[in-house]
Amino acid sequence: METLLLFAPLAGALIAGLGWRAIGEQAAMWVATGLLFFSAVLSWVVFLSFDGTTETVQILRWIESGTLATDWAIRLDRLTAVMLIVITTVSALVHLYSFGYMAHDENFGEGQHYKARFFAYLSLFTFAMLMLVTADNLVQLFFGWEGVGLASYLLIGFYYRKPSANAAAIKAFVVNRVGDFGFVLGIFAIFFLVDSVRFEDIFAAAPAIAETQITFLWGSWNAAELVAVLLFIGAMGKSAQLFLHTWLPDAMEGPTPVSALIHAATMVTAGVFLVCRMSPVMEFAPNAMSFVTWIGAATAFFAATVGLVQNDIKRVIAYSTCSQLGYMFVAAGVGAYPVAMYHLFTHAFFKAMLFLGAGSVIHGMHHEQDMRNYGGLRKKFPYTFWAMLIGTLAITGVGIPAVLFTLGGIPIGFAGFLSKDAVIESAYAGMGGVPFWLLVIAALLTSFYSWRLMFLTFWGRPRGDKHTHEHAHESPWSMTAPLAALAVGSVFAGMVWYNAFFGHTDTVAKFFGIPYAEASEHAEGESAGADAEKGKGAHHYVFAGEPGQGGLYMAPENTVIADAHAVPKWVKVSPFFAMLIGLGTAWLFYIRDPSIPKRLAENQRPLYLFLLNKWYFDEIYDFVFVRPARGVARTLWKRGDGDVIDGTINGVSMGAIPWLTRLAGRAQTGYIFSYAFWMVLGIMILITWMSIAGGPR
Amino acid sequence: MIGLEHYLTVAAALFVIGIFGLFLNRKNVIILLMSVEIILLSVNINLVAFSWYHGDLVGQVFTLFVLTVAAAEAAIGLAILVVFFRNRGTIAVEDVNMMRG
Amino acid sequence: MIAQDLAILLPEILLAVYAMAALLGAVYTGKDALAAPLTWVTAGAFVLLALWIGTRGGGAQIAFDGMFVNDAFARFAKAALLLAAAAVLAISQDYMQRRGLLRFEYPLLVALAVVGMMVMVSAGDLMSLYLGLELQSLALYVLAAFRRDSAKSTEAGLKYFILGALSSGLLLYGASLVYGYSGTTLFSGVLEAAGEGRAAIGLLIGLVLVASGLAFKVSAVPFHMWTPDVYEGAPTPVTAFLSTAPKIAAMALFARVLFDAFGGVVADWQQVVAVLSLLSMFLGAIAAIGQTNIKRLMAYSSIAHMGYALMGLAAGTAFGVQAMLVYLAIYVAMSVGTFAFILSMERGGAPVTEIAALNMYSRHHPGRAMAMLVLLFSLAGVPPFLGFFAKLYVLRAAYEGGLVWLAVGGVVASVIGAFYYLRIVYFMYFGEERAEPVEAGGSPVLYGMLMASAIVMLVGIVNLFGIEGAAAAAAAALVQ
Repeated sequence: METLLLFAPLAGALIAGLGWRAIGEQAAMWVATGLLFFSAVLSWVVFLSFDGTTETVQILRWIESGTLATDWAIRLDRLTAVMLIVITTVSALVHLYSFGYMAHDENFGEGQHYKARFFAYLSLFTFAMLMLVTADNLVQLFFGWEGVGLASYLLIGFYYRKPSANAAAIKAFVVNRVGDFGFVLGIFAIFFLVDSVRFEDIFAAAPAIAETQITFLWGSWNAAELVAVLLFIGAMGKSAQLFLHTWLPDAMEGPTPVSALIHAATMVTAGVFLVCRMSPVMEFAPNAMSFVTWIGAATAFFAATVGLVQNDIKRVIAYSTCSQLGYMFVAAGVGAYPVAMYHLFTHAFFKAMLFLGAGSVIHGMHHEQDMRNYGGLRKKFPYTFWAMLIGTLAITGVGIPAVLFTLGGIPIGFAGFLSKDAVIESAYAGMGGVPFWLLVIAALLTSFYSWRLMFLTFWGRPRGDKHTHEHAHESPWSMTAPLAALAVGSVFAGMVWYNAFFGHTDTVAKFFGIPYAEASEHAEGESAGADAEKGKGAHHYVFAGEPGQGGLYMAPENTVIADAHAVPKWVKVSPFFAMLIGLGTAWLFYIRDPSIPKRLAENQRPLYLFLLNKWYFDEIYDFVFVRPARGVARTLWKRGDGDVIDGTINGVSMGAIPWLTRLAGRAQTGYIFSYAFWMVLGIMILITWMSIAGGPR
Repeated sequence: MIGLEHYLTVAAALFVIGIFGLFLNRKNVIILLMSVEIILLSVNINLVAFSWYHGDLVGQVFTLFVLTVAAAEAAIGLAILVVFFRNRGTIAVEDVNMMRG
Repeated sequence: MIAQDLAILLPEILLAVYAMAALLGAVYTGKDALAAPLTWVTAGAFVLLALWIGTRGGGAQIAFDGMFVNDAFARFAKAALLLAAAAVLAISQDYMQRRGLLRFEYPLLVALAVVGMMVMVSAGDLMSLYLGLELQSLALYVLAAFRRDSAKSTEAGLKYFILGALSSGLLLYGASLVYGYSGTTLFSGVLEAAGEGRAAIGLLIGLVLVASGLAFKVSAVPFHMWTPDVYEGAPTPVTAFLSTAPKIAAMALFARVLFDAFGGVVADWQQVVAVLSLLSMFLGAIAAIGQTNIKRLMAYSSIAHMGYALMGLAAGTAFGVQAMLVYLAIYVAMSVGTFAFILSMERGGAPVTEIAALNMYSRHHPGRAMAMLVLLFSLAGVPPFLGFFAKLYVLRAAYEGGLVWLAVGGVVASVIGAFYYLRIVYFMYFGEERAEPVEAGGSPVLYGMLMASAIVMLVGIVNLFGIEGAAAAAAAALVQ
């Protein structure tokens, strides 16, 4: 079943990509979509029937070279199962959505066939992503990793006539290479240390790695720390974390369904997945983990600030994605991998929905993306409006604080409310201090820019081109139906799986198939202080697995999940108040008195420009990396390649060889005596040589 | 007393004369054929001398083979020369030069 | 005793008797009217002999106290050269007939040359070496001058004869020195005398002279000068013959002398052969660029290819000999197809050999052009065609034999050499339209041989038709 699930998208991609001429464009699209839905149904079956024990399904032997032996196999554990449903569900819905969104595209002329190609790319992406999450070893994972990179490149540059789209595609590819370089080094380091790339072997060797020193660049490092940091650099590139984030906003040049699928729900979360997958190694690298936490928190804060002032509706959501990925990394960084996966899971629903909703608006507004030209679209887009509203409620974290009311231990609220609070509580429990506060402030900012988006788009008076507003229309069912499906997820996904991802240690352990044990007296006594508010019960159980058992590895001393339940009350309610403040400010700025933003921007012009220009990251990179690189490349091209290499090749092929050819022709005089002379001369030389060099030694 | 080295010296001299005859002569193809015969003769002297020196007959048998083949070779060479002369009306070595490059 | 020896020689004796009997019979009966049937009968006889020899099996058989050796190596070379000769006869019949050249001596001279070659590859003694070589050479001189009314053909014969006689003289002088310094003409005796690196200087000079004589036959630089002229002047079927079977025989003989007689002083001749190989590859590649006549071009091409085959020999290992044999077999298969194409080039019934005449050939004859393209790519050593694997084989042998510089040189030379092959492709596919396009004449045999050769270049990459194993066995028989 897993194999079927994995190959259905590949079959769809091949049929739609290569066979559409034979079966027609519409049929190709339906085949690809049908196979994806089939895959999604299987995924849910796998997810719901999964009992927590790790399974391996071998497909074929892949690479065998020396001690490197790589199978192509599916590793199915809870981590994979969660990713499976996220990927296939969102992908299937996006396929369906694309029927409406891609129906007429002004980037392609009459009679040009682009739809089948689009669906083929989508299916190809899905296959590569599934390869990534089902990987049984690092090489296979890397194959999927690069496969999604390729699909992302193809889809960002789908409007290949637009120079900006091509530039964005190249940018995404190049920035990801930087991260991939680290990732590949990490794989090499692991292979060097463990002599295997199979997860089972790596995990089993993780404790040993932690006690190894390895020499890299200028110094000697703890092997586990080094490997963890290198792998995380790869994750940073793929998940657009700070310093390697610049490609994600530009990637919005791609069609909106692509943004929803790749740049919100699935591919960008691959980095989080990688960190969780490698949790057995990460657990032994505390310094690397705090690096992960800091980067995540900084990204969450940075992206949220930039999101405040963007005017392009998709860019706002893109920065929001970037910010939410930061949340996930914070959770992973403090050791709360289940929480990171929890947020990844819920985020996939509401962020995909926000993107698809934005796409619906863009589609209805004839590809107008600037929010300043929206306004009052509530009536024109009733379904979209409600969907977007649910999405916004989810991302801003609306719910009843657990301190006030819970239903059988489960807080009531939208998906994002539960998962984001879980992240923030884990951050407080695991690290506290600056990262925690950054997250709270980011939550405030998130609430502000999300509501700003809603208010600018759906409230107020229509702005911009009157004609466009008159012709604005709600999208067809193929686009609203996926919104409805995702809305269900955005509302309930958090509550239904609360205990599974963020319950007590035993429920989480059971869900992920990690062995657990009764906490010893010693452990209970030690953490008595933290349990003061919750009383007894929080530390009833501890994780007791060996690395590699179950979907995740959490060291026995890792109690961050239990601790997170025991944080002070003010911590628990802080995100809720942050949300309220953000909502209130947005209401004040964009409903009550729409002149405030303009005045504020004029008063605080440097700050405004700083944010509008995304902290000048692109400019700094351009100055520090791009221009020198271009200069070096130009020199090498003109001087090195042009003069030295081309010059030599041309010199040899245009000058020396024809000269030699003429010489050879002239030597061939046609006279017998000259031929005989050359023969005798040859013999003389050979005999002389033999007399000098040969003979008894 | 005439020893092996004397025979070898004569043979070597003949060999060199033959070779020089091949590429110094530019007038007549017949002389080329004669030069080839001289080379073969020098080989025969060598073989017989060595045969006598080693005291076994193989060298002399070899000589007989060489003589036989040389006769056949001369016959074929002259035949080719005749058809060449019929076509070109000359047997000057410098005229055997239609193909080159 | 003598009967056993003769039994070992039976294939050669049968072929020689057949040739002489047919010669006599044809003189007294139908003369040239019998030429066409004789050609086919001879070709058939070659194929039968090849099958017989190929399936004869058994270990090494030695006749006449070691003068004649029939081992796996000899059998491989004999089967290959017999098949090559048969293929050449098959493609020449129609061409010769239509130009009034098909006299009954033609197939019989080829048969006698083949007898000489078979003796060559089985030679175990300097005398049998010389006799085989001369039998082959004398027949080839006549064949080169076969077009008696053509100044070019007779000039080719004359040049070939005089230079060939010179090279025989050098070889013989070398043989006499080898005899003098080792006291025997048997290869096994020479091997003893020139044991592990203690060969006398006279013996080495003898070796150099013998090697030069053989280098002439394989047209290795600097003993190659006759090749372009003879290839151009000789009738095209004879050129096809010259570039196939005698090359196998001469290379095989070269290998036999170097390993059977001088196997103890590999280090001494290895560098010499390597230099000959390098010079041949480069000269063949460079000089071919300036050619306008496709027959001359094929001459330089064969010089370059012999350079590659010598590379395998220069490695001085059993694997090197195996690589050489595989290379030769593939080279011959390519050559037969290419010459089938050249034989079919004509305009108004007259043969055409100008490369420029091939302009836009693909427009009129797409199938033939495609087949020729495959062959040219294969000759140039472009993957995935068979020619590439042949080159790979010898390069690997040279590398493993420690001759890295030679392998590098081979790669560079093949890049240069690719130019002139691809130039023909360029003419065929992208050239300018000429008023008088070249026609594709000739019998279905030519067409079939061209196509078969092209298909072999493609299909052979699967397992090289199993010749690898046979070549390995042959090499093992030669190099102990």
